[in-house]
Amino acid sequence: MRAYIAFAQKAFAREATYRFTIFAEIGSLVLRVYLLRSLWTALYAQNLAPADVPRHAMITYATVALLMSLILEVDGTRLIRDKLREGTIATDFMKPISLPLYFFSDGFGQTMLHALLVLPSLLLALLFVRIDVPSFTTLAAFAFTFALGYLVNFFLNFLMNAVAFWTLETFAIQLMVRWSSDLLSGQILPLVFFPGVLGKIVQALPFAAIYWTPLRIYIGELPQAQWGAAAATQCGWLGFFAAVSYLVWRLAERRVVVQGG
Amino acid sequence: MGALRTLFSREYTEKVAVDGISMALDAGELVGYIGPNGAGKSTTIKMLTGILTPTGGTIEVAGLIPYERRKANARNIGVVFGQRSQLYWDLPLRETFELLRAIYDIPGERYRKNLADFVELLEMGEFLSTPVRQLSLGQRMRGDFAAAMLHSPRIVYLDEPTIGLDVVAKEAIRQFVARINREQGATIILTTHDIADVERLCRRIVIIDKGTLIYDGTIERIKERYGSRRTLVVELCDAQPDFHVEGAELESREGNTIRIRFDRNAIGAEVLIRRVADAYGVNDVRIEEPELEAVIRRLYIESSAAGARA
Repeated sequence: MRAYIAFAQKAFAREATYRFTIFAEIGSLVLRVYLLRSLWTALYAQNLAPADVPRHAMITYATVALLMSLILEVDGTRLIRDKLREGTIATDFMKPISLPLYFFSDGFGQTMLHALLVLPSLLLALLFVRIDVPSFTTLAAFAFTFALGYLVNFFLNFLMNAVAFWTLETFAIQLMVRWSSDLLSGQILPLVFFPGVLGKIVQALPFAAIYWTPLRIYIGELPQAQWGAAAATQCGWLGFFAAVSYLVWRLAERRVVVQGG
Repeated sequence: MGALRTLFSREYTEKVAVDGISMALDAGELVGYIGPNGAGKSTTIKMLTGILTPTGGTIEVAGLIPYERRKANARNIGVVFGQRSQLYWDLPLRETFELLRAIYDIPGERYRKNLADFVELLEMGEFLSTPVRQLSLGQRMRGDFAAAMLHSPRIVYLDEPTIGLDVVAKEAIRQFVARINREQGATIILTTHDIADVERLCRRIVIIDKGTLIYDGTIERIKERYGSRRTLVVELCDAQPDFHVEGAELESREGNTIRIRFDRNAIGAEVLIRRVADAYGVNDVRIEEPELEAVIRRLYIESSAAGARA
């Protein structure tokens, strides 16, 4: 256990050495919040936005989604890809550790550093964008479903990076999944904007478990009575992706063991 | 067209990387494991560390089958690769050491003692707090050695550990290896292309080529067995354009200095010297012993010639 805590600590320290990236990230966030706010303000002024979501709820939604992306967009298992390309993964296999747990701890350490950035950004959002703050119960439910979404996102990310065991390069597939996920997870748009059957399909996809579920709780789109069911669906996806990840890892490990890293 | 074809289809050829390499090491031995590029050295090391499963045969390391008990085996071993580092690139050396302490559960007292010893032996004091990416190759290698030995492994695999190092750094590493072997009683397999490493550190060498064993024994014996050729260097009183002596062949000639090659098993040095002295005026003679490197080079060439015939 101590080893995995140490992995997370070192990953945290490692990320902190790239100071410029961190400042650039905050800068880019401020810019994106500003752009989105202008965009939605303009859309509402032209009456182009759906009438059933008030303007301020929409801006809150977009801002909170951006804050979440600070944590969710960390490519925490990038390490797998890098190590495969450099061939250093062989030395990790020579250590008395579980590699999937190592990757998780490392990813978690990276995430924790980026999570720190959420604090100043949140302050900014509260002061200047004046996002809505819901009740404590809602916040707690949001935090819980967000944690589940984080795990679903982690496994999705892990699976994409694990593709490198077969292809070494994952750029194209990551771009594809990232774009679909941005749109289908509710990061850019609330999923209620998708009309009719399309909306039903999109809400049934696993991407919805990442942003949409916690966000709709935050903005009060989901009645409290349905919170449990929503979290259960997230857990279902979590179990599914964890199982697939386990299988993929077994295959990847075999591949290394047969081909020798 | 070829490139397009490989885009859509792949061909696999099966190759036997190592075959019939049987050997046993006693605890505390320091064995040189050598062979030309592509001989199967790294494949052997990978099987010993448990990251490669052999298709046949048996391997046992300290009572464990490495590929079945990868993690348990990992606790017993330390590995150094000259060509890839296991240090954390962005962090100071010290932090990698702390991480390893957690990974191997090294008791506090042993950790502090080993670290203090290694810092002194490898003179790492100056750069312990420098990020690894800023270290020179020599410094990085020393860090890698310390990292691999921190948990006092019983078995150590060194894969070309002195590659690219200057003479001073090489010597520091060699002294360190000798000391780990002597004081901690670690069993060490040293893979290298630098024959001086082997000559300096090992009594026993194992030579493989194309996946098969071609020699396993002491360095003295290989020199005796394969190094029967000697060179006699003769300094003549005056130039002899048609120099010739029975039982040896002319290797080179430079002014009055003539080098002749002979096989010690075919003709004694003493007989040869007498023949030369009887026929010509001689100022000085000296016999050159074969170097281990030359012996091994001959062995590689013979082995590849045998392979070509087969």
